[in-house]
Amino acid sequence: MAGDIVLGYDGTVGAQSALRVAVALAGAFDATLAIVFGYEPNPMGGETSDYQDQLRRLGEGFVGTASDEARQIDPTLAVEPLVVGLRPVDALLETATEREARVIVVGSMGEIPILGAILGSVPHKLLHRSKIPVLVVPHPD
Amino acid sequence: MTTVTGLVGAAAPGPDVAPSKGLKVGALGLLSSIVIGVASTAPAYSLAASLGLVTAAVGLLAPSVMVLAFIPMLFIASAYFYLNRVDPDCGTTFTWVTRAIGPKTGWMAGWGILITDLVVMPSLAQIAGQYTFLLFGANGLANNRFWVGFLGVIWIIIMTAICVIGIELSARTQVGLLSAEIVILAIFAVVALVKVYASHVVGSLHPTLGWFNPLHISSTGALAGAILTAVFIYWGWDTAVTVNEEAKNTKRTPGVAAVLSTLVLVGIYVVVSTAAQAFHGAGFLTANSNDVLNALSRDVFGNGWDKFLIVAVLSSASASTQTTILPAARSALSMSVHKAIPRRFGTIHPRFLTPAYATTWFGALAIVWFVGLSIISNEVLLDSILALGFGIAFYYAMTGYACVIYYRRLLFRSVKNFVFVGLAPLVGALILTWAFLDSIFVYSNPANAAGAQVWFRFVRFNVHVAGIHFYADGLGPPLIIGIGLLVIGLPLMLAWMIRHREFFRHTAEHAESLHTPAPPLTPGAAAPTD
Repeated sequence: MAGDIVLGYDGTVGAQSALRVAVALAGAFDATLAIVFGYEPNPMGGETSDYQDQLRRLGEGFVGTASDEARQIDPTLAVEPLVVGLRPVDALLETATEREARVIVVGSMGEIPILGAILGSVPHKLLHRSKIPVLVVPHPD
Repeated sequence: MTTVTGLVGAAAPGPDVAPSKGLKVGALGLLSSIVIGVASTAPAYSLAASLGLVTAAVGLLAPSVMVLAFIPMLFIASAYFYLNRVDPDCGTTFTWVTRAIGPKTGWMAGWGILITDLVVMPSLAQIAGQYTFLLFGANGLANNRFWVGFLGVIWIIIMTAICVIGIELSARTQVGLLSAEIVILAIFAVVALVKVYASHVVGSLHPTLGWFNPLHISSTGALAGAILTAVFIYWGWDTAVTVNEEAKNTKRTPGVAAVLSTLVLVGIYVVVSTAAQAFHGAGFLTANSNDVLNALSRDVFGNGWDKFLIVAVLSSASASTQTTILPAARSALSMSVHKAIPRRFGTIHPRFLTPAYATTWFGALAIVWFVGLSIISNEVLLDSILALGFGIAFYYAMTGYACVIYYRRLLFRSVKNFVFVGLAPLVGALILTWAFLDSIFVYSNPANAAGAQVWFRFVRFNVHVAGIHFYADGLGPPLIIGIGLLVIGLPLMLAWMIRHREFFRHTAEHAESLHTPAPPLTPGAAAPTD
């Protein structure tokens, strides 16, 4: 739906602070909060289907817990947990575009910066590629 | 409060869970299918590891073996294609054999995949260690067993870490690396052939048609050994047929990708093996089988330029290490999900989103196996490659049989079914079974093992049964490693079976259709997360 708040959520501490900000935003705009977990296994190394199943279960756990938490903070909020089979950045961009979202909210890579450098940082890529405003919530410390 | 599953089930219906990838299908789908197939086969590394072994078995007929060995691979790939279509489980052969034949055979097939992946690791680590030293001109260290082992262990640790953390090269980088590898091999072959004809290199030979005629191979034993070795060269090619989610959405891509990657691979192997033996003869390749491409590269390219080939071997070995560790961990994940091995092997690391537990275990075992083999074997590389042939032949043959048995009711519905689902997989499986059995005879004679090392000297017999001469005076390392590791699976399976019956309650099934997805092997199977 137009005007949704899209939150990228992967269970990390950074994602949790982003969750709190996203809940506040969704409440203020009276918008639906879409909580997105994106995944895509490495295509090298053969068939991936039941690996994908396991990843989907993991993701469902993440977005499920996050939705419960969002509802605890704001019981009136409309929350939609989503597991998308694309790389995190693509998952967020696709969901946000599809829903004509107001803003994409993500946590900054807080815990281990070097890991972000190796793995590629989601907020960084989003800032470069997104046509929808991106809000990067700082790591809590 | 709603339960998590109910909540997600309601809010995230089919399309969100099963990704729609329509956007990504296109030119890159086909190209990346080919790249994944060829990169998984790792032509430069495969040649570096095994060219000397093939010439040791069949001399100047190596190019003919390159073509001949591809035939069973092609036939088995047909089995992969049809089985994967109805059951794209990352347990591959393990799941398919369990369905078609039964859980015990399926378990052993899964074990075959795991140990085959394990057995190739010392060879990869050895080549990586050796060629890294050669790259920097440290030729002394490249021949020092301790330092090559040391660097090899570091290589395994780095590669395992990459797979655990989930670092991926972008599709474009992979295309670049693979293109470089193929171009370097092609330049190598052209320069070698030009020098052979133009400047009369010492010991050089002009290629003749006889090199390509497999009928000239002297004994069936030599042929079986050569096929078992050459099967290793094409190992991994089947991924071009099975993988790639992007390719799956189009009806055409997997087939076209398989055909094109075939042409690339067979072309590379035939041309490079021809050029290599034309340059200095087959004896030179056999004598330098430990670092055959390096030895040739020095003479073909001369100083400085020869490093390009070394870089190609290293980049190829790194792709091959990745495409060994990833499927090994995924096979373990699948076996765990279906309750055939402990649950922990199916866990996904919540941060890295990889099967980190299985991957770490595999890396650790690979190090133990590599160090152990480096200590007890004189010829780590050669013994590993030959032993590997047994493992590959075993589980590829199982795949072929599983295809025929699983689709038995559909084979006579059409000529196409009969040929591609029945005949081809069956013939492929029979060829591999023959190569497997005949090689047991060959390698039970330690004199045929690369290092001519003798293990298990207590095994002695000399009998004639039904006109066949069975003879052993101790056994060769490839046989003990190859067959021994397979056999160790039996007590492990029994030990698991006694305590965990569930997986072994599966009964064999058969397919009703070539297209409809098979019902889940283990309904509602789920593994925990950390």
